[in-house]
Amino acid sequence: MSGKAGSTINRRTFLKALGAAGIAASAGGAILLPGNLLVMPHSEGFLVVDMGKCMGCGTCMTTCSLTHHGKASLSLSRIQIEQNSFANWPDDITMSICRQCKDAPCVSACPVNANHVDSENGMVRRIDPDRCIGCMQCIAACPYLPKRLQWDPVQRKVQKCDLCVDTPYLKEKGGPGNTQACVKVCPVGAIAFIDKMPDQKSPHGYEVNLRGKGWEKTGGSREDLHSKS
Amino acid sequence: MFGFTGKILHINLTTGTSKTIPTEKYKRWGGGHGMGSALFWDLCEDKTITDGRDSKNVVCIATSPFSGTNVPSAGGRCEVVGVGVGLYPVSWFTRSNFGGRFSATMKYAGWDAIVISGKAAQPVWLDIRNDSVNIRSAKDIWGKDTKTTQESIWQTVEEETETIDGWQQLPTPKGSGYSTQKPAVLAIGPAGENQVATACLVHDAGNGAGQGGFGAVWGSKNLKAISFYGTGSVEIADPAALVQARFDAKEFYAGDVDNPDASHWGPFGKPAKPVLFCDEPSKKRRTQSCQGCINGCRGRYDIGYGNEVSCQETSWYSSFAQKWVKGDKQKASAIIMRSGELCNRLGINTYPLGEGLHWLEHLYHEGLLGPDKAISSSLDWEKIGSPEFAEQFLQAIATGNDIGKDLIDGWVQAAYKWGREEDHKTGKLQFPYWGMPEHGYDPRAELEWGFETIMCDRDMNSHCFNWIFWQANISILFGQRPFLAADKLAEIVTSKLAPYVDSPAALDYSTPNMYSDDVMQLTRWHIHYSRFWKNSTLLCDFRWADLFNTHTPDSHGATGSEKAGEHVFWNAVTGDTMSLADGLEIGKQIWALDNAIWTLQGRHRDVVKFADYIYDQPFTKGELLPFFFWPCRDEKGEWHYQDVMRRSLDRDKFEDWKSRFYTLEGCDPETGWPTRTSLAAMDLAFVADELEKNQRIGKEG
Repeated sequence: MSGKAGSTINRRTFLKALGAAGIAASAGGAILLPGNLLVMPHSEGFLVVDMGKCMGCGTCMTTCSLTHHGKASLSLSRIQIEQNSFANWPDDITMSICRQCKDAPCVSACPVNANHVDSENGMVRRIDPDRCIGCMQCIAACPYLPKRLQWDPVQRKVQKCDLCVDTPYLKEKGGPGNTQACVKVCPVGAIAFIDKMPDQKSPHGYEVNLRGKGWEKTGGSREDLHSKS
Repeated sequence: MFGFTGKILHINLTTGTSKTIPTEKYKRWGGGHGMGSALFWDLCEDKTITDGRDSKNVVCIATSPFSGTNVPSAGGRCEVVGVGVGLYPVSWFTRSNFGGRFSATMKYAGWDAIVISGKAAQPVWLDIRNDSVNIRSAKDIWGKDTKTTQESIWQTVEEETETIDGWQQLPTPKGSGYSTQKPAVLAIGPAGENQVATACLVHDAGNGAGQGGFGAVWGSKNLKAISFYGTGSVEIADPAALVQARFDAKEFYAGDVDNPDASHWGPFGKPAKPVLFCDEPSKKRRTQSCQGCINGCRGRYDIGYGNEVSCQETSWYSSFAQKWVKGDKQKASAIIMRSGELCNRLGINTYPLGEGLHWLEHLYHEGLLGPDKAISSSLDWEKIGSPEFAEQFLQAIATGNDIGKDLIDGWVQAAYKWGREEDHKTGKLQFPYWGMPEHGYDPRAELEWGFETIMCDRDMNSHCFNWIFWQANISILFGQRPFLAADKLAEIVTSKLAPYVDSPAALDYSTPNMYSDDVMQLTRWHIHYSRFWKNSTLLCDFRWADLFNTHTPDSHGATGSEKAGEHVFWNAVTGDTMSLADGLEIGKQIWALDNAIWTLQGRHRDVVKFADYIYDQPFTKGELLPFFFWPCRDEKGEWHYQDVMRRSLDRDKFEDWKSRFYTLEGCDPETGWPTRTSLAAMDLAFVADELEKNQRIGKEG
């Protein structure tokens, strides 16, 4: 399959060719091949995190819920920071983000194409709330714990990180190539936006070292958390 | 009702019942302290009590509209009010404040405050999950330290909650809510259970409501812990404005941890970094913060101890440990961090320990304290500074054994019990106000700190102006010219203090200006600012007010600014149209209500005084540095940083200062009691009625 490491034809070119040939039906930015094989172009943006740098302030979470819902909430946040005050660094904090997966199982699982690849917004995997029927199959399909899609009990719909495409309470334009509220608000720069897909096979592909030389000046270590893995 | 949940939870431990109080009546106070004082006024049936361990005491733990939001350095603060324990000569209605995520979680569970009255027959803990409220037996956690208690409650709640796909499912009135978080627990340790005056409330590893003795209050009520678990939201009036103000706060005022500026001046712009009075125990750490903070001040480490131990927790044993290890900074750090952590686990307020232990060491060397001495103690005083001594000493304090037996009611009380009242009067025991220790900022030098503390109820612990001491004196210590000249700093700072202050002279702490109206107005501004903006809206004391900030072109801080000022956040959250000064007016009303409570407790202006040594002896020995530079004007009116040590307060001049202060606050200067006219003007006629009924209303001027 194109898009894999070492491929000589990139995924987008391949999909364009398929589209030109008219051999696939479109589901958002994804292509449905014969045999119900859904092929989706890469997202043009990803969030990566430094779990050794995060302060645990949760500002990314409340700002996420504010920009999307207009409410301050941890439960409605699309990024989840969990912490144990008594545990040793760096295991005292985990940062759970949507990975904008290469072959997003949550997109594939949606029976009504509410969860789709948004071709108008950098191929981000996002849910159209008007089409979501609340079946939760996308949540079940997410391979990560905690699940990176959230159930909104008030709206009775599922939500997920859209890289801030649909943020009615963000004054600037969000989405790939534009602002991500969590990145912008993080006081210590523990979340970053990148446009290159992280390593999908490594368990730590989205966990990066964002501690620069300035971090050392404040007394902290720049050592990679996963240097031995 | 933007910012508020609309509900206050009232638990009566005597009857084992709970009821819901609508928040609406208490909105005028903003939240936190103001709301707590008003709830205490309404719910405490006997406001003459002067020992917080009295079962008639009512304690309130209150959030604010900022709690649970992303308002910078505010979202996780929480206020505690009630009659305290261990103050001197009596324990006033008082307050404390702590960070973490407790207040935020209380809001997500749907509550603006929780009020505790009565006394449980047996030890209990409160288990609150959204709307569900249960008073549960604490027999399995009574006797445990605060860490074990919290972990036990986390485990209990987790075991009783269904986990689906990594999310815990909680019932809500509208179906199920989900959370990945742990319950937020506030607990007492053995010190609180034993009703020790210096017992505190502890949340997570290092958030403590220390001053005021609220740990002893909980212990007296057989209340071991309160746990909140919530899945709700805080409704915001103008979310876009709130998000933008938070972005602006970071862009224009906050410190950048990746490009730290060592020469920066101002609290808001400090980069995130643990604040320690010792070397960091490990570089492998994060800077950790309370919920919503703009730049954290604590650490979590890879070494198995010291998580969230910071500031005073690392100060109280620092000099002893440094001496014990003969200058080995890493060994000292290990002792200091472990000792600080033990305080948190046992639930001991560390503030009195530093000054107090120096005094006990003096008594030991004088041959007055020790085995078979007049003050009996079998602790190994020769090993003071060692980890073993710290363990012995803290266990004695927490359990009320050995030396701790006489310290249960307070340190000054112990001095009088031992016939050592002279030590209090002469300053060998440096507890200058209300039975509380000197904070490092002696009232004879840092005027607003002392004046505010004595006109209120406890060590003020409000650092708005104190950052000047740190910034200027550290520069001078290292032989550097202060980054901001004294005249420039005075101009910037006082420009933020309208409508109270209209002259830079308010920051002139030179001896001729000590008792001036200008300095008094600065003090009043600070009391009212702290009462509302810090203690009621719950902006963190360590980051606010941001009066000066050298990240900005004109070195003006975020306070009062139209980008990220206090009122900008308030209005975005609540939908109000408040100004910074409007908040000060509420702060004035809160102080008036507090003063009415103190008046009912028996306060008269005659007891509002410092320990004798503040008047009788010059300030010669700084706790932190050998000098105390502050902006002052000379005889020609020119500004300099001047050392303001080697002076004392003048009794007569301070008494005159009090008279003028009381008059400005609408009180009878002869008694310090509020007048009906002033109370009525603040829509507090019902307070005047109660004072009049008790024959404690002030005479009209």
